Amino acid sequence: MSTSAQQIENLIGKNYKQGFVTDLETESFAPGLDEVVVRKLSAIKKEPAFMLEYRLKALRHWMTMKTPEWAFVKFKPIDYQAISYYSAPKKKEDGPKSLDEVDPELLDTYKKLGIPLDEQERLAGVAVDAVFDSVSVATTFKGKLKEAGVIFCPMSEALQEYPELVEQYLGSVVPHTDNFFAALNAAVFSDGSFVYIPEGVRCPMELSTYFRINAANTGQFERTLIIADEGSHVSYLEGCTAPMRDENQLHAAVVELIALENAEIKYSTVQNWYPGDKTGKGGIYNFVTKRADCRGDNSKVSWTQVETGSAITWKYPSCILRGNNSIGEFYSVALTNNYQQADTGTKMIHIGENTSSTIISKGISAGKAQNTYRGLVKVLKSAKNARNYTQCDSLLVGDRCGAHTFPYIEIKQPSAQVEHEATTSKISEDQLFFCQQRGLSPEDAVSMIVNGFCKEVFKELPMEFAVEAQALLGISLEGSVG
Amino acid sequence: MAAQRNQYFTEYQELHEEFPGQNLPWLNQHRKVALARFSELGFPSSRDEEWRYINFSQVEKKVFLPKPVESTDQVDRTAVVSYFVDDCFNLVFLNGRFSTQLSDISELPENIFLCSMKKALQQFPEQVSEYFAKATENEDHGFIHFNTAWFTDGWVLKLPENTQLDKPLHIIHVATDSDVLAATRNIAVVGENARADLLESYVSLTTDAYLTTAVNEIFIGKNAQVSFCKLQNENGKALHYSGTYVKQEKQAHFIHESFSFGGQTSRNEVHTDLGQASECELNGLYLGRKKQVLDNHTRIHHRLPDAISRETYKGILDQRARGIFQGRVIVHKDAQKTDSEMNNRNLLLSEDAEADTKPQLEIYADDVKCAHGVTVGQLDETSIFYLQTRCIDKQAAENMLTFAFANEMVDKIKQNQFRKLVLEQLLTHFPQMEMRKEWVL
Repeated sequence: MSTSAQQIENLIGKNYKQGFVTDLETESFAPGLDEVVVRKLSAIKKEPAFMLEYRLKALRHWMTMKTPEWAFVKFKPIDYQAISYYSAPKKKEDGPKSLDEVDPELLDTYKKLGIPLDEQERLAGVAVDAVFDSVSVATTFKGKLKEAGVIFCPMSEALQEYPELVEQYLGSVVPHTDNFFAALNAAVFSDGSFVYIPEGVRCPMELSTYFRINAANTGQFERTLIIADEGSHVSYLEGCTAPMRDENQLHAAVVELIALENAEIKYSTVQNWYPGDKTGKGGIYNFVTKRADCRGDNSKVSWTQVETGSAITWKYPSCILRGNNSIGEFYSVALTNNYQQADTGTKMIHIGENTSSTIISKGISAGKAQNTYRGLVKVLKSAKNARNYTQCDSLLVGDRCGAHTFPYIEIKQPSAQVEHEATTSKISEDQLFFCQQRGLSPEDAVSMIVNGFCKEVFKELPMEFAVEAQALLGISLEGSVG
Repeated sequence: MAAQRNQYFTEYQELHEEFPGQNLPWLNQHRKVALARFSELGFPSSRDEEWRYINFSQVEKKVFLPKPVESTDQVDRTAVVSYFVDDCFNLVFLNGRFSTQLSDISELPENIFLCSMKKALQQFPEQVSEYFAKATENEDHGFIHFNTAWFTDGWVLKLPENTQLDKPLHIIHVATDSDVLAATRNIAVVGENARADLLESYVSLTTDAYLTTAVNEIFIGKNAQVSFCKLQNENGKALHYSGTYVKQEKQAHFIHESFSFGGQTSRNEVHTDLGQASECELNGLYLGRKKQVLDNHTRIHHRLPDAISRETYKGILDQRARGIFQGRVIVHKDAQKTDSEMNNRNLLLSEDAEADTKPQLEIYADDVKCAHGVTVGQLDETSIFYLQTRCIDKQAAENMLTFAFANEMVDKIKQNQFRKLVLEQLLTHFPQMEMRKEWVL
């Protein structure tokens, strides 16, 4: 390769630095999906009988469903029989007992991604569960968490050790009949994180799961379940990356949060799946169902998301505000560049009295991307004095992109107060000129202005994430100016 | 449901020979295509995204058929005349057919062309074909196809360049009988620099259910101005669909004001296609009581640069009423410097009322200024308290504030005679009947 070609290659590589592939021996299923596959999956995971039943029920229901088409995204139909539904790094007989036994290749991968699994190396006290393709490879700080009574483990482990908890809560927020991708996930999910915070406990550290897709032709279907018992508090972070490939890969996760009386859950996501290249080739289809149930009075759930990756993002982290005085929050930054498409937003369903919700959504669209906010605020008759404030701002960078706002507001209670505001604008020439006059390059100026635009959301993110998110925005916007 | 659809189909074969323009192949082709499409789609149901909050199933429970009024003597002439507006050309349609005897357009200047659709299709079919279905060609839902197939009459207005309607035109749609279908198709062509003020009102002389479907196509030439006010004041059982489809040339100006007070289930659609540097203003007020469902649907296409759109719809919903607002603004990629604002405000006065709103922005150009805002709530307690401290009892204070909320929309009407008419109707329909008229004066 000539030097100049090499340089160009480097430049492109810089755009998505997590795009490498880890060479590992893996154990995968042949592509295809039927009852046999589901049974085999369940058997490998040594799951309790109720789980297999649940999976089969979900699969049978999924077979009767059609891919939804209402979203503002375009993609070729997915051949669900061409996907492999299980892929895992080949492991020794019993699986690793401690980090020393984990494949060094794997540890290297996470190191490259900046997620050290070595507990000593962690700067802040963040416990990490690393999910590689379909399985969880390591969970840190388990011991320390156990002392506090917190359960933080891979879903497969939870199914064996705490089956009664899983059985009680799994599917209680997102039933297997909920939607096409949730049904698919319920049938074939391979792993994910399970968190249980007991009554009155404030989780001593941030919990974090790092998802990595590595193998080709597989889908990633993880399932996260977080239960915050009465009066507890937890902050949970989620990050994700994938290699650069020309084919599209499907990621269909389900996240369920349950907050009981006086409990609080803060869920932050920095989604950086591979977005595809400049011509729109490849990238992850990120079709995710995330929903929180504020079951108890005075409970609170806060979703914060920074969406920069994925060829297509299609997700609506939602809150069911069932308990009286419960609070739902949604802070989102969604950035799309090149040919990326995002249809994202939230649903706030007010059921309990004095429930309140806040929605702050910032959409940035550059290149030839399409960015849609779609949100529902529904106030049922029982939700006396419900309160909602929604603000959706869109920023357009370049004249070939689209920014769309589709809010749905359904109010059945006269004492409810609902406000919705939306604006769309572009970066003003004056602002750009001012920054350039002060010696900033056009790219830095855009990045700075965009960061300012998103500030309201970034301040909701935990520290390290906020830094990462800002850097990510800068990288994702590269090449969108001029 | 399909049975009813089939019945419409069978009845059509029997009745269509009476419909205007049977000798015109181009129109027959339109009707044929529309009928075929209608038999596929049926009337819209809440499964369609654009119709998700409204339920028109009543339309399918019965078969509504055109019923000409045999002779004007059967109609209460004074009742019809009572709907006339002073200082206007009053045009009367009975059950979807033009009534020469009742209409009063004798003073119309000669250079202005106004006649019934039936007559226009007999005398100037080429001119009609130039515009017919041109503003609705991309529409594809049951009601539009139903209207194309079934319309029995309508009006055609043509204003040449640089002319002006010196008096406003008032089109009165009267329904006289139960189970009637009043389907009209109307066209207005307003030439360059011309100016027209129109008012259409929908009223009932019956207390039974019937179905209105009206489609207006309005073509506004360069630099021309059209103001179009709609007052839907039908009886509490009436089913109403009306769509106004507008095409605006460069710098054309269009104002639409919609007042939905009556009807059981009513759908009001206003769609406009803006030209370069053109402007539109869409305003509306919907007042629901009992089990009324009032649906307002607007769509504004910004296809070319420098256009401005403003939109304000307000709803007051009492008892078990449901008010719906769906507004969509689409800014196409060449529509730089677009300036668009949309507002929807709703007042819920009862525990059982419901407001559903769906403002949408779809933007493909970057140098634009677009905003929308929505509020749903009840009267401001501090305002009520303030009035109470001024010795106004609570009920009166609430009435006053509710009236002020509604009156803002009435105040926007520029033609005095229209404003007076709408205000009178607003007061009679007002949820609080004891509303004192003194406030208004």
